[in-house]
Amino acid sequence: MYKAKHPGIISTVITIIVLALLVFLTNVDIKNLSYAQSISTAVIKPVQNGFTYLKNKITGNDAFFTDLETLKKENEDLKNRNSELEEQLRELEIIKAQNASLQEYAVLKDKYSTYESVAADIIDRDISNYSSQLIINVGKKQGVDAGMTVLAEEGLVGHVVSATDNSATVQVIVDASSSVSAMITTSSESIICKGSIDSTSELRATYIDTSSEILVGDTVVTSGIGGIYPKGITIGTVSNVVNTNNLTDRYAVVETAVDFSKLYTVLVIKN
Amino acid sequence: MKKILIGVITYISFLIIYFIQTNFFNWFTIAGVSPNLFIILALFLGLFTSNYFALVLSVIMGLTIDFEVGRQFVGTTAIMLTIISVLSTYLDKNFSKDSRLTIIIMVILATIVYEIGLYGLNIFIFGFETEMGTFMKILLIEVLYNTIITSILYNPMRKLGNLLESYFKERNILTRYF
Repeated sequence: MYKAKHPGIISTVITIIVLALLVFLTNVDIKNLSYAQSISTAVIKPVQNGFTYLKNKITGNDAFFTDLETLKKENEDLKNRNSELEEQLRELEIIKAQNASLQEYAVLKDKYSTYESVAADIIDRDISNYSSQLIINVGKKQGVDAGMTVLAEEGLVGHVVSATDNSATVQVIVDASSSVSAMITTSSESIICKGSIDSTSELRATYIDTSSEILVGDTVVTSGIGGIYPKGITIGTVSNVVNTNNLTDRYAVVETAVDFSKLYTVLVIKN
Repeated sequence: MKKILIGVITYISFLIIYFIQTNFFNWFTIAGVSPNLFIILALFLGLFTSNYFALVLSVIMGLTIDFEVGRQFVGTTAIMLTIISVLSTYLDKNFSKDSRLTIIIMVILATIVYEIGLYGLNIFIFGFETEMGTFMKILLIEVLYNTIITSILYNPMRKLGNLLESYFKERNILTRYF
């Protein structure tokens, strides 16, 4: 009877394939699988069209096909026109984005011009699954010390909790032990933004005043209370307001302005 | 002398594992959760080397992690890896290591003990919010991930373990048979 020569190797290979599939499927955005959908559609759709054509012929429901050629030509013209319009739209979007980016730089330059800062690269990240800390490549030799605010182009990153001669540990605002005193820009009301182990892109805004009119889309900035963060640094925008039976328990979900998964460079405010 | 050399080689291996963990497994995740190779390493040392050797190396490894990526309070990872080392010594004395299933069960147990302990310390020391649902979800995925990795690495682990065991435990008598 046949017996596998290396059953251990086979099972190991199978396990590796399963692991790779698990990692791929749990991390890939379903929208990114559109190419797989396109391949599948390219194979199945022509056959399906054939069956539909046959079915219509048999049931006598084929009047539709008489104008098929005219419709095809019309469709082709419309497609071409659509492509032209799309191209124009894309160009417009690029110009718009460039304009927004230039405006942002100008605002940032004004906003942080009063601060003395040092740029740093992220060289390491916390290994724990429910903790978010970053290690940056500047330390005491570059004048960086505990308590200093760390920013990115989009907004607040966190603050330095400890520093060695050439590196520093940054507690980011989405860390489960982080609390930031914040303010809603539209109403100037104070809130507390806390991190959680659940997400690395969202904060939970609590201590919302019972009379406060917090709305989705409101911008949240630092309030300056607490002595760590300067006032007016962007934290994020309100993405959801969760109302509870008890009004004092309600909270809002704040989507951070900074995308921590794509963060590689930061700015440490020294004063 | 030989044991010191083994210690140095083990520490270098730990550093390699550290770089794999911080660079590769940062993005090679299951639903955003990475495995913890240090738990497997501490368990492996406890099972196949002497109690003292495993304990000392676990403390050194834990302190290295705490110094490199830890919080203000240095020592939480060192404490938990030491506990895993003690646990693995207990498991070694009471259970057989000859089957893949037993090793996998040990890894599951070690991962649960380590993560619950570390999360507890984080709540107690750093004021983490208690989010049991999310924590359980992360823990389950991590257990699954560690199990898969152990399953893949079982054969080389076993061979290397036997080699180490011959250095550390050659004069040992299995007292459980008396």
